[in-house]
Amino acid sequence: MTHVNSSQPAMQNQRRSPLYRRHTELKAEFESLGDASLVSRYGELAAEIESAAQLGLADLSALPRIGFKGAGAPQWAISQGIKLPESPNHSVVQDDGALVGKLSHQELLILSDLAGSSALVNSLEPVQIESLKQSEPAAQTYHLPRAHSHSCLAVTGTAAAEMFSKVCGVDLRSHKFAQGQIAQTSLAKINAVIVRHDLAETPCFYVLSDISTVEFLWDCLLDAMQEYAGVPVGVAALRSLAARG
Amino acid sequence: MKNRLPAPYGQLIDREQQIDFSFEKKSYSGFAGDSIASALAANDQWLLSRSFKYHRPRGALTMAGQDANTLVQLPSNPNALADRETISQDLAVMAQNYSGSLNHDRGALLGLFSRFLPVGFYYKAFFKPRGIWEKWAPLIRKKAGLGVIDQQLEPEYYDKQYKFYDVVVVGAGPTGMQAALTAAVDGCEVLLVDENPSLGGSLNYARFDAEGTVASETKERLIATIKANKNISCMTNSLVNGWFGDNWLPIISGKRLYKVRAKQTILCTGALEQQAVFHNNDLPGVMMSSAAQRLMHLYAVRPGKASVIVTGNNDGYANALDLMDAGVEVKAIVDLRDQPPETSLTKAAKLRGIQIKLGYAVYAAKKKGNHLSAVEIRKISAHGLCEHQYQTIACDLLCMAIGYTPTYQLACQAGGQLSYDDQSSMFTLKNLPDGLQVAGSVNSYWELSNCLEEGARAARAATHALGFTQGDAEQPIPRENQSPNHSWPIFSHPKGKEFVDFDEDLTIADIINATSDGYEHIQLVKRYSTCGMGPSQGRHSALAAARLVAAATNRTVAETGVTTARPPFAPEHLGHSAGRSFYPARRSNMHYRHLEAGAEMLQAGAWYRPAFYGRSEERDQCINNEVNNVRNNVGLVDVSTLGGLEVRGPDAGEFLNRIYTFGFVKQPLGKARYALLTNEAGVVIDDGVACRFAEDHYYVTATTGGVDRVYQSMLKWNAQWRLDVDIANVTSAYCGVNIAGPKARQVLSKVCDAIDLSNEAFPYMAVRQAEVAGIQARLIRVGFVGELGYEVHVPQQYGEALWDALMAAGKEDNIQPFGIEAQRVLRLEKGHIIIGQDTDAMSNPTEVQMGWAVSRNKPFFVGGRTISELENKTINRSLVGFVVHDPKAPIPKESHLVLDGQQMSGRVTSCNYSPTLGKAIGLAYVEPSKAAPGSQISIKSTAGVLVSAEVVALPFYDPQAARQEL
Repeated sequence: MTHVNSSQPAMQNQRRSPLYRRHTELKAEFESLGDASLVSRYGELAAEIESAAQLGLADLSALPRIGFKGAGAPQWAISQGIKLPESPNHSVVQDDGALVGKLSHQELLILSDLAGSSALVNSLEPVQIESLKQSEPAAQTYHLPRAHSHSCLAVTGTAAAEMFSKVCGVDLRSHKFAQGQIAQTSLAKINAVIVRHDLAETPCFYVLSDISTVEFLWDCLLDAMQEYAGVPVGVAALRSLAARG
Repeated sequence: MKNRLPAPYGQLIDREQQIDFSFEKKSYSGFAGDSIASALAANDQWLLSRSFKYHRPRGALTMAGQDANTLVQLPSNPNALADRETISQDLAVMAQNYSGSLNHDRGALLGLFSRFLPVGFYYKAFFKPRGIWEKWAPLIRKKAGLGVIDQQLEPEYYDKQYKFYDVVVVGAGPTGMQAALTAAVDGCEVLLVDENPSLGGSLNYARFDAEGTVASETKERLIATIKANKNISCMTNSLVNGWFGDNWLPIISGKRLYKVRAKQTILCTGALEQQAVFHNNDLPGVMMSSAAQRLMHLYAVRPGKASVIVTGNNDGYANALDLMDAGVEVKAIVDLRDQPPETSLTKAAKLRGIQIKLGYAVYAAKKKGNHLSAVEIRKISAHGLCEHQYQTIACDLLCMAIGYTPTYQLACQAGGQLSYDDQSSMFTLKNLPDGLQVAGSVNSYWELSNCLEEGARAARAATHALGFTQGDAEQPIPRENQSPNHSWPIFSHPKGKEFVDFDEDLTIADIINATSDGYEHIQLVKRYSTCGMGPSQGRHSALAAARLVAAATNRTVAETGVTTARPPFAPEHLGHSAGRSFYPARRSNMHYRHLEAGAEMLQAGAWYRPAFYGRSEERDQCINNEVNNVRNNVGLVDVSTLGGLEVRGPDAGEFLNRIYTFGFVKQPLGKARYALLTNEAGVVIDDGVACRFAEDHYYVTATTGGVDRVYQSMLKWNAQWRLDVDIANVTSAYCGVNIAGPKARQVLSKVCDAIDLSNEAFPYMAVRQAEVAGIQARLIRVGFVGELGYEVHVPQQYGEALWDALMAAGKEDNIQPFGIEAQRVLRLEKGHIIIGQDTDAMSNPTEVQMGWAVSRNKPFFVGGRTISELENKTINRSLVGFVVHDPKAPIPKESHLVLDGQQMSGRVTSCNYSPTLGKAIGLAYVEPSKAAPGSQISIKSTAGVLVSAEVVALPFYDPQAARQEL
């Protein structure tokens, strides 16, 4: 459960996004999420919603996410009640708002909803190897610490695909890259997983990349976004756009 | 602007916007949209530059940015094309490559000595006596080169962008526009791209009929339809500068390089008009026929007052009509043909009373000042020969309309082969790859109706291939009967100066002499003579040169061929290649704590790491202090960059057993084991520790720079072995620190009370999982720096909190951070090697004294067989420790040579001053006879100073390893 707490500096948390200093410099208002903080907004919300609809960049690294891989991972996921996409490089939304993507036939990526309240993700988060290996369906199923290996950014808005074409060689335009589709590609010369997950009518792309490079990527994206008046936005604007549907 | 024509001439200029600029420091005015060359021409300034070799006066030749005559110097840009670069307010333009003044160039005297500067002059003149080139080179280099680079210029912002289309049509002339329209069926995304400011191509300036109405009507109709079609995107002022595999097209537009992916590409690149070759054919005032038409129609500039047209096709007649319409006197049409076919254009020319000289050639041009003043015409008597009688016609403009070469460069870059029919003087392009087509005049179709049908044909073929449309395979339309190319517009003159290549000042004699010197192949002629190697890349010299070489070597032009076309099509700014490059940087979660503590950062690969903490001018002292603090107290170092690999599954132990040199199957739970990695050749390529947390779970560390390779190697091997094991690279998922020093346990215990940290309960090389400062952590007791130490690995986003907690816990014990440099000294004192620094591409375990890390009791590991064979052979070098006893001796550096007399016998791999031992210590490869402790070696240090060192047993520090096992 998230709640707004603008007075809590992100730096007091145990878990800190590598970008929290950037957010603080931009006078971000944070909301707490467990032992981490998420940028709620940087300024006036209505304007930020409009910015996000045009071109916005949000740091969602504090949101839960997890991965599993191995020959037994798909079967085990089904046993947990997870709906899987039919083929790799696609994702499906779960009943609780979580997003489950297949990165290969044997690798799953599970992202929380924007509130960070997905029961599925939160139930899986504490799952460790010890518990996995002891249950029969979990044979050949291995946990991947995606929350720490990968940062999670969201690029939103009608100009997103055009902006991406400055840093990425995959055609992400809406009529070429469908809702739920996943691209595992190079973004500004770093490996990235791009998941299209629109906020109602607003195009939205989750970008997962090596967390140690996220400051570099953040700067690259902001630089590419300037041409389209893109700006950093908080999760509140994203939630508002998602609610428009 | 006395040469301006009234509207509607001047499609590209805006007469409402006057622009003031300067050329050679003299002020001029033009209109917005004017090129530098057109604005100067409007002001009767025709001389633009001086030629490269003989400094001959040169002016506009193509008015299409296709020649080197118009290269000028802009404040921030040398070698700008004056006929492509538009003017801007207060732009300061200078000419290039002259001595004295542009009008009176002292360098032009070189032309008087041209007979002493034959082709190949450089090769013949400057190699004797030996060493003379060193004298000549500075003089020649001073004369060579054209523009001047502003080295103070601040880099401007260039970037790149991808674009994706189903069909890309290159060239927006009539063929290209029709191709785009036909291709733009439902769902088919089409890009129409042209290097010029507007769509239309030749429809913007050429004349196709006697009345002069067809071009504009066709253009308006096509453009209106294109603009109404939402499937077509247009890019003008955009140059497709190459063709790469799978229709990857680099398009330069402004300060952006577009990387365009096309499923189908249609090249409608048109053709390049060629010059006639005769005496003084390079004078300002002599220009392509199409250049004169461009000046009139695009820029409203009258190209001259009195003109002559030398032609071999209908286009010369069309131009004559255009010139007359613009008020330019046409003194004569000099037609190389005896009996040109009668067309509406030839009839119209006759009706207008133009003097037409059939079977004549322009034999020579004459000048007054630096401009054309007259031409000498003669009756053609035979192939390339003229009668002695001549007629002089005064004129200030000579238009050349003798033929074209297809703009074949992109097609040839794609693998197309250019063929030439000596009978019809027609070119064809063959062997084009799938997904690429040519249409229009690049495919040797010239009639407007044929070009339009060609465009439609190519587009239909493209949409059929993409599945947007269905139909029978497209058939080529019939070839035209008449070629616009005259077969031999080349006329030698006793005084030479009939230029084949304007860029390099190469004449007929130069090309023929190249063949006489034995360079008969066209590629050799190019390299020997430099023909086609200038800025215009042979666009106007390739055909003439091929014809001359063919004649000189008794071959056909088809047999002779043309030289290879390679990308780029035109020169491009370095900014387009370099602009907005990405250099990924990696930072640990603790990065800013290092900066706040005053760290001097260094980059190891993409990672930023703290080298040491303190002022750079106190570097050595800082490092020494950090070393001493670890040895005597407690220090903290960020080891987040270390590679981390999860190896999990029932076969995890067996897998590690095969990968690494040690044994791992029987490794106890809760213990770490040194892991040395070799390749199939037995070469040491990485190391780390393997921590066993469960029967089927190992957490393996790897070197910062090597982990990606190790991970790839593991995946590769297991793809063969098919063991039941999973390998995951979790390097970035974990942050790590090493807390080291006698007080490490004391400090760590303040934030870790969940486990017993005592030596008995948690001994050296043990591993544990426990909370540290409330964070779930993996703890490894290691001894890389030779002291009591714990590596603490936590999930990445907790790194900074861990750092804060340990620094706070150690505050009263004066814990200090230490950097990579101190760590290097500490490990060196302990005799630990660094893979990649103390090893090279040949190092095997025996050489580097790591034989102890190789198991002989297991059936297989990667490199094992080679290592066992190597162990049975005599080694020829050994990595040893050495000490420099002389405190005044310079400290050797990495890669300094170990000498045996005058012979090199080894090299230093590591060397530092050891604050613990009070002297310089190091590691070096030496010959085996010098490997025994007590041996003396000589090291050639900085500035050649020989340093004596003594080989000692490793480690230098704490040989009983008591410190790390406290």
